[in-house]
Amino acid sequence: MRRGFNAVKFAIGGCIAVTLAATTLAAHAKEEGPIRIGWLSSLTGPLSSAAIAENMGVQFAVEQINAAGGVDGRKLELITRDTIGDPTKAVNFAKELAFSEKVSFIIGPVNSGESLATVPILTRAKVPNLIIGTVDELTDAKKYPYAFRVINTNEQWISNANRYAIETLKHDKVAIIGDTTGYGAASAKHAARLLEESGIKPVYSVLIDPNKTDVTDEVRQARDAGADVIMPWSASTGLLARILNARGNMQWDVPIVGHPALMGLPIRDLLNKPEYWDNTFAAGYVSTTYDEQGKLPPNTAKLMEEIRPKLGGTIDFTFWWVALGYDTVKIIEYAVKQANGSTDPDDIKKVLESTSNLEGVYATYTWTPEDHNGFPDSAMVLNLANTFDDGSFKVATP
Amino acid sequence: MLSVLITGLAIGALYSAAALAYNVMYSTSKVLSITTGHIFMVSSVAGAFLIGDLGLPKVVGLLGAIVIAIIFGLLTELIAIRRILARSEDHLWLLSTLALATIVQQSIGLWWGTEPRAFPRLIPQDFTAGIWDQKYWLVIGTVALVALGLDLFYRHTLFGKVFLAVAEDPFAAKARGIATDRIRAFSYGIAGFLGGLVGFAAGQLTFAYFALGLTLTLFGFIALAAGGLGSNLGAIVGGLTLGLLSTFATYFFGGEYQQTIAVGLLMLFLLIKPEGLFGNKQVRHV
Amino acid sequence: MSGLSKSSLKMPVMAVLLVSLPFWVGNTYQLHIATLIGSYWVLICALNLAVGYTGILSIGHVALLSIGAYCYAILSGTYDLSPWFAAACSGLLGGLCGLLLGLPSLRLPGFYFAMATIAFSMMAMEFSLAQDDLTGGGAGLSVPPFPPPFDSPEGLYWLVLGFAAVVSFLSWNLVRFMWGRAMIAVRDSHVAASSVGVPIFRLKLSVFTFSGVAAGVAGALFASLQSYITPETFVFELGLFFFVCIVIGGRGSIWGPFLGTIILAALPELSGSLAHWGQFFYGVLLLLVVLLIPEGVGSAFVLLKEKLRPRKREKQVVNPDLQRLRAAIALQPSDDELAIPGQSGSSTLKPFKQRG
Repeated sequence: MRRGFNAVKFAIGGCIAVTLAATTLAAHAKEEGPIRIGWLSSLTGPLSSAAIAENMGVQFAVEQINAAGGVDGRKLELITRDTIGDPTKAVNFAKELAFSEKVSFIIGPVNSGESLATVPILTRAKVPNLIIGTVDELTDAKKYPYAFRVINTNEQWISNANRYAIETLKHDKVAIIGDTTGYGAASAKHAARLLEESGIKPVYSVLIDPNKTDVTDEVRQARDAGADVIMPWSASTGLLARILNARGNMQWDVPIVGHPALMGLPIRDLLNKPEYWDNTFAAGYVSTTYDEQGKLPPNTAKLMEEIRPKLGGTIDFTFWWVALGYDTVKIIEYAVKQANGSTDPDDIKKVLESTSNLEGVYATYTWTPEDHNGFPDSAMVLNLANTFDDGSFKVATP
Repeated sequence: MLSVLITGLAIGALYSAAALAYNVMYSTSKVLSITTGHIFMVSSVAGAFLIGDLGLPKVVGLLGAIVIAIIFGLLTELIAIRRILARSEDHLWLLSTLALATIVQQSIGLWWGTEPRAFPRLIPQDFTAGIWDQKYWLVIGTVALVALGLDLFYRHTLFGKVFLAVAEDPFAAKARGIATDRIRAFSYGIAGFLGGLVGFAAGQLTFAYFALGLTLTLFGFIALAAGGLGSNLGAIVGGLTLGLLSTFATYFFGGEYQQTIAVGLLMLFLLIKPEGLFGNKQVRHV
Repeated sequence: MSGLSKSSLKMPVMAVLLVSLPFWVGNTYQLHIATLIGSYWVLICALNLAVGYTGILSIGHVALLSIGAYCYAILSGTYDLSPWFAAACSGLLGGLCGLLLGLPSLRLPGFYFAMATIAFSMMAMEFSLAQDDLTGGGAGLSVPPFPPPFDSPEGLYWLVLGFAAVVSFLSWNLVRFMWGRAMIAVRDSHVAASSVGVPIFRLKLSVFTFSGVAAGVAGALFASLQSYITPETFVFELGLFFFVCIVIGGRGSIWGPFLGTIILAALPELSGSLAHWGQFFYGVLLLLVVLLIPEGVGSAFVLLKEKLRPRKREKQVVNPDLQRLRAAIALQPSDDELAIPGQSGSSTLKPFKQRG
């Protein structure tokens, strides 16, 4: 009788204890469970090479942080969604990650076309969003308070390239070539506007379908219009290679200054002749540029050596993508630590907006309450397009 | 201007070849297969893969591409046409060929990639050759040969005459002991050969691109509709007209409305002369 | 009789489930998917009349969706007009484009029409890219929501549900009455249909225009749901998706494509990592259905049910009425003989056995 009584008491007491423990655990779940990070990446489809490289950086950072014990003891949990470059899927997955998986951060999407669709949605869902697309409209401290950009803006790329073309190369009859994707169209327009602000009107401007196989006509029209520099703003390596081929085939030695994809390694195999890559300059970064001694900045070199085994030894893609992916996760680690372990969106927002000179591999970041673009102008540089070596490039010398 | 003309002729020749392929398959099955353009695509991708990626000699690449294209043609007949025609339902073949075309396009896209990839140089020639570049003349020459070959085939060989018999009246042909099923398969194989040869020759013009299939299916059809279903001369005239119209319109008005102009041509013909320039008015006695 | 009560229960139960969906669904994401399926259904339901019933193979119907979406986005966004007015214009514009597309092409064989729709869808994309002052070009347009109470996820869901119910009701009525059989007749045999007096061209054009209006309205709803549209949203593959939903579900039924839409739309969300196999999968599914079960998956269930639980066949015993038979042969009047009008007692017909 006594035993039965004790058993019942024990059972009731045990249930209460378990319930209390469970509720307290649930109450602290956000603060003590894993930190869930959503990753919207177009691993297949257009711009997949950039996404795949960025993915390597993101995954490596997550593994590295988890191997060292996580963020204040909490592990990072990465939830990846392949958007295939489809804005509808990007929207669907953004909502899934925000409402169904209830992640605390979202990195991406990679394509600007997709990001234009997802940024307002994630703002409404109050999920801190690390932006890795360059179209300028993606960040706005007032409209999208939880979106913070890690990569540079299009304006930074374009002004950098414009400065080089006009001031260093001393050419001002500019032909702008964009493509018909979301990114290409927006960039070409922006490039024309920035030129006109410096008092230069482009002599020729066109948007080409990135899958158009022969661009000889457009390049010839640029020549006929009297251009002395061509500035392509397209992320499509195929299209850029065809522009280089057209220039070479018609034996026109005009300099080409533009988008970083101009120096991507895949271009080499698409060129009719290797010489076609000469006289080409691309917007690049200090972090992946060799100095006069042929050395990379210490942070880049360190990451490269750490991640090299995972990449199979040789690095035959642009390394700053990897560095960018790596930095996004490190920024999340930093933000959560600074917020004393909280992943509340407003706490994170406050932390990031007061971040100054946060040192990463890709760049050193600064955000303010007025400006959610963290990439500094000083980290930009112009590279010689045909100097790819182990993921990085040489600086352009006039 | 001259380069615009040459480009137009080359592209037009490719469209003509697609229209010819339509005709060959239509002649024995009364089916317009959506997989027509995909035969060319498969051949160019195979050629680029064999010569470019695997490094095989060019002749091997050509033969391999043609063989693969022929197999694709035969498979189309076997999978998408044979069972469907045995049933009496109209237009199910449109769905089955659409399905097969989608399957082929997506698999190639997943394997080969979704970007147009360069086709290897076939004949050593400097890239600065301008309008004499082989990418134009290989296509034009090959299609001219193919058109001549088809004409010879239909008019001067027994097989060709059998084809014509099956096309005109399949029941009578069957009554005469002609195995219409096998003839049909054979004609799809010929379409495969045609597509394989021309697709390979046009590889440098079109690049090895997975979405080429649908484009050629559509534009080949526009050429066919304009020229007249069932007429090979119509196919050639229609294709060349479409190609030249496309390139000249791009030259004068910019490339933004290229598809619109081609579609406009189609609509015009459908309104005014639906049977095309050289086609027969399809009258069916009931 | 029991079947009738079953089906009369089906509708109210489904109605209750659908209306209450925002309350029992897991989270906002699932609500979003449900709303997406609903907006697709507005288009597919009407397209089903064209493709499934009448046999008008509009593969490029996505063009009309994109026209509706851009029309709504431009009118209610750029020009700041009332969203209701914009949605109405979307429907009208969709119908008008359907009419203009159908006029030259519907008289021609099915393949011509199918190609014309594919060409039209490519043209629509070209147009949306080229007219970038109007459509935002490659960068796209942001789309304003409908006015409250429809600007919340639940509100938009109910709005879409309302439109979907209206389109379903209209389609069901069109099918139930004379037009349903006329449409199927046109699909299966032009010759037979015209020989019984079905106005083929007028029927086709009306059905196609109706599907255009529905597509336009669906475009407005879809755009509002996505809140941002780019030309890349309306690729040819989306049109193929609509088409496959109908064919797989079963041509000639409304439930079939409805289930087809739900399944095919929900699948990519469930198998996120295999997203890029989607189109390949649709192609395989389409081929299998066309080759093996052309009536659609819905009919496969019916066939299966028949096999497992066959309907009781009433035994009908035939008892010959020998009296009447004898009388008819001998042409002698019997008790319940039918009088032949115009003939009196003696008949001009000779008894059978007296003939040579």
